[in-house]
Amino acid sequence: MLRDHVNLAIKNLRHRLSRSILTLLGIAIGIMSIVSLIALGEGMQQAVTGELSSLSDVIVVTTGGDFMTSFGMGGATAEYFTDRDIADVERTQGIRDVSTQLTGTALAEYNGETTVVSLTGMDPQIMQLQYATQGLEAGDFLNEGDQNKIMIGYTIAHSLFDVDVLVGGRMTIHGEKFFVSGIFSKQGMGGVSSDSVVLLSIRDFEKLTGQSNISIIYLRVNDVTEAEAIAATIEGVINENHGRKDFATATTMTSVLETVQSIIGILQLVLVAIASIALVVASIGIMNTMLTSVMERTREIGIMKAIGATNKDIMSIFIIEGMLVSSIGGMCGIILGVFGSQGLTLILNSFMMMGGSSNLAPVITLVSVVLAVAVSLIVGVLSSLYPAWKAARMSPIEAVRYE
Amino acid sequence: MPQDVIVTQKLTKTYGRPPVQVFALRETTLSIQQGDYIAIIGPSGSGKSTLMNLLGCLDKPTSGTLFIEGRDVLTLNENQLAKIRREKIGFIFQKYNLIPTLSALENVELSMGFAGVDSQTRTTRAKQLLEMVELSKRLTHKPSEMSGGEQQRVAIARALGNNPSIILADEPTGNVDTKSGENIMRILEDVNTRGETIIVVTHNMAIAQRAKRVLHIQDGEVREQHA
Repeated sequence: MLRDHVNLAIKNLRHRLSRSILTLLGIAIGIMSIVSLIALGEGMQQAVTGELSSLSDVIVVTTGGDFMTSFGMGGATAEYFTDRDIADVERTQGIRDVSTQLTGTALAEYNGETTVVSLTGMDPQIMQLQYATQGLEAGDFLNEGDQNKIMIGYTIAHSLFDVDVLVGGRMTIHGEKFFVSGIFSKQGMGGVSSDSVVLLSIRDFEKLTGQSNISIIYLRVNDVTEAEAIAATIEGVINENHGRKDFATATTMTSVLETVQSIIGILQLVLVAIASIALVVASIGIMNTMLTSVMERTREIGIMKAIGATNKDIMSIFIIEGMLVSSIGGMCGIILGVFGSQGLTLILNSFMMMGGSSNLAPVITLVSVVLAVAVSLIVGVLSSLYPAWKAARMSPIEAVRYE
Repeated sequence: MPQDVIVTQKLTKTYGRPPVQVFALRETTLSIQQGDYIAIIGPSGSGKSTLMNLLGCLDKPTSGTLFIEGRDVLTLNENQLAKIRREKIGFIFQKYNLIPTLSALENVELSMGFAGVDSQTRTTRAKQLLEMVELSKRLTHKPSEMSGGEQQRVAIARALGNNPSIILADEPTGNVDTKSGENIMRILEDVNTRGETIIVVTHNMAIAQRAKRVLHIQDGEVREQHA
């Protein structure tokens, strides 16, 4: 029985092939936009998660405002942590290790030119973690124990001096000679700002400036699940040291990750909502085509009723027809979406100038494919419901008389 | 003693409301027995098709009663009517009314499909029926690829699919040439000799004379013509 209905529906779709294909195209485009936008959003989620989850056991303590504004903007904060703060942090339970980031400004000379740069002293290991996704244009990261070596950002290397700074080049900072170990790739928008930093080891920083202007403390916890609690404790202890409630802010990477993920989630939802408009238009297209088809086949419907088709048979034939159009359209849409998301990523990547360091790639998940199939089937049923009902309700005599 | 397959009492169909009420059929009382071969004749607009559509359960009467094999049709719901149409009645139309997108074989199978006959049985039966109407070589042809006479024979095969007890043919030879018309009438008469009730609407007196009973309709009133 069902097979007959499917057969009738297929025969009819083939009979009106160009119209069927156009209707199908509408659904394909709708599903394509949904699939590719979900894939893009999923890609963003994974890229960000990948970047941040390697740091999930890290807590960042900054002075003043919150971590997102001061992170990486060396020298922007005028207040520094004291040795007592560091000692207190190190005494806190559940902490694996503590390292600090020192910031300050200095005069740098290269090739006879002198200018002011902002210095950041940090542990080479932390440096690698923090800038891992950034990628290097040339050279290598600093190693533990390296002396008189620096890492520089893209802007420092290419725009600060009249001549480009090269790996192995000699830069004089505060009269001390340093060799450039590595140059970061151009960063552009997004991520942790590194274009205009000069990074060096903590020991070199202290030797150079005679100060330990600690603006950021990095610490790693033993148990990720305790990170939030430890962050709160540390914040409390340091604030007490300084007699202020807002002196320090301790941020776990997990909470940053959650925030970023929820922002991307909202973005994804908005994108899908916009894409859904295409789907609504497509379903109106199906309904329109089906209504025309019902009108054209009034006589056929009457004949089928005259030879014994029930209202249910007629409804089923038309609904199956709608479902066939939308599910075939949906399949095409999924395939188009896979390619579409690649294209979209390509455009986005070049637009955002994320260059070689970008790891944004569309991710087609099983869930999104299942969702697309389900949505297209539902659209097929919903948009053929009314035409099918109209067809089923026809009186056989009126329909047979209809010319 | 043959059974009455169709009984009507004061069956009436009107269109519109007084004072512009038109009687398409007036208080018709009939009884038709199993195995009857009835011709219905009358001028255009006399109510022939109205009577056929009522007997075929395609249309609902305004008043009166209609029994098909003892069941009061007026009390039946849509689904039950559909069941009567596919199991008790085989309809043959003047314009064949085949489904244009289906082949001859698929058209014949269609009504059996609605009746829930499994696909193997119905393909076998459809082939037998098409053989009976001498269309074995046209199984895969679409209606548009067949002549009027051939299409009408497919329609006859379709009407016979579910072994109905009543065949209603509304001017079955109206759109075909004389030779095809003769062929079609011969097939229907063959079917009648096997016990099926045949009711034929026609303009053609020669065809009407071959029937066992002839009913005249004029202005919605039915009179029996006695030989």
